[in-house]
Amino acid sequence: MTCPQLVSVSLSSTQRSVRLRAGAFFQRGLLVLAGALLLLLGAVDTAQAQDKKMKKMLMQLQEMNQADGYLEAHRNIKEPLELLGGPISFTVEQNAGGVFVGLPDQRELDSDVFGTPEMPRAFTGTPGVTGVPVPFREVENGQFTQLDRPTPFGDKSMALPNGTMMLKAKDVTATDAATTKDEVKFKASWEDKEGNTYAVRCCEMLATAGPEFPTFGGVVTNHILHGFSGIGTPLMPTEYTYAAFWGMGEVLKNGEVVDKPRVVHGMLTEYVRTEGYELASDSEVTPTRRHFHLMVAPFMPVQGEHKFEHDNVSTGFQLPNGKELPFWHVMFENLNIDSQRGE
Amino acid sequence: MSMISFRAVFTGRAVRAVLGGLGGLVLWMSLIAAPAVAQTSGAPAATIGMTNTLSFTKDTVRVEVGETVRWKNNSVIVHTVTADPEEATMDESMRLPEGAASFHSGNLEPDETFEYTFETPGRYRYFCVPHEAAMRATVIVEPAEGQ
Ligand SMILES: [Cu+2]
Repeated sequence: MTCPQLVSVSLSSTQRSVRLRAGAFFQRGLLVLAGALLLLLGAVDTAQAQDKKMKKMLMQLQEMNQADGYLEAHRNIKEPLELLGGPISFTVEQNAGGVFVGLPDQRELDSDVFGTPEMPRAFTGTPGVTGVPVPFREVENGQFTQLDRPTPFGDKSMALPNGTMMLKAKDVTATDAATTKDEVKFKASWEDKEGNTYAVRCCEMLATAGPEFPTFGGVVTNHILHGFSGIGTPLMPTEYTYAAFWGMGEVLKNGEVVDKPRVVHGMLTEYVRTEGYELASDSEVTPTRRHFHLMVAPFMPVQGEHKFEHDNVSTGFQLPNGKELPFWHVMFENLNIDSQRGE
Repeated sequence: MSMISFRAVFTGRAVRAVLGGLGGLVLWMSLIAAPAVAQTSGAPAATIGMTNTLSFTKDTVRVEVGETVRWKNNSVIVHTVTADPEEATMDESMRLPEGAASFHSGNLEPDETFEYTFETPGRYRYFCVPHEAAMRATVIVEPAEGQ
């Protein structure tokens, strides 16, 4: 009999104390809320300030691009000189087999290319195009480890079937200039498992002079690119390049143009993949094997300025997460290569 | 009889050797057993796949002299199966036992297969020509049982 009473008494006392505590909590809660709002406003303010600071830094990095002076000296040359020993003509083709498609990934940072947090290297220029800002680099035990965001340059890839490509080109003009005698005819295509066909064609126009790094009249042969070279992104390893081109082309899906104009870059290099198709660091490059890389990068040159801005490519290719792949980075490895010097 | 059918399981070459050695009686007996032999005589002692990520599906396989290994290209990429000094550009990508013949499949398109029967015992390190930097594996050939 006593039990229910006890229970009810204890219940009501609990309720009262809850109400009391709730009141106190409510009052204190208001204070906490007001404080939190202030903090939040402060955080927004700090985030905005940080954002502004970051934008300013990125602009400064673009302005201190190391190739600006060199490019300025070459950009307006009307009659550039030709290659020592004369023009080189070449074809690179793949008639069958598949391709490797690079997927967004966080690049491991090689100290040979990027230095250390105390002595960083390769940070100027448009982020991702010629440099990697230090704040974008992750650090562990006093060393850079990897990029803090995904780019087209990393270890992740997938193989897609029925890849063919044909590059027929001529390297005549040696340096960057206002005009070029270099020539490029390029087309490549591959399929997905559903049978959709993807293709890239180039070049309606060659990069006679690079906006941010030299492009040698649009075609270069027998040169080092990427990595520590300062020519092209340092997120690719330093690689001997038998031939490369830069120009404006178009991206197709199932025969329809889905993006145009786009900067298209192709290169025949020494082999820069390792086990599991991971992207090599400088010390892991295989000099005695070659492969061809096609890059349609998520960047476009800024009109009238010597820099790039981020601009995703419409590829029409859906990633497993449902998003559209915002670039094409495609490797061809079953190649027939032919070349000769002279006209 | 049990010895003969055991051998017949392996390769056509092994069957031919046994038939040649034992003459008509065995030929007649193996003809009676023909359905079983037909199903099993071509069966390789090991089958190795080739992948989209620069690898052979088995790092190491062990077979006996006279046995056949089959490689199947399960990927969408063109690969090769190669242990030929003419094709290699790196010391570490291949090794042949002393006196062993070299082999090279040529380009294997997706779904194509290549078979090779090993006649010399020892350790064979082989590679894929376009992916020599990463795509390598080993076959260990042991002396045939009873030899
Ligand atoms: Cu291969």
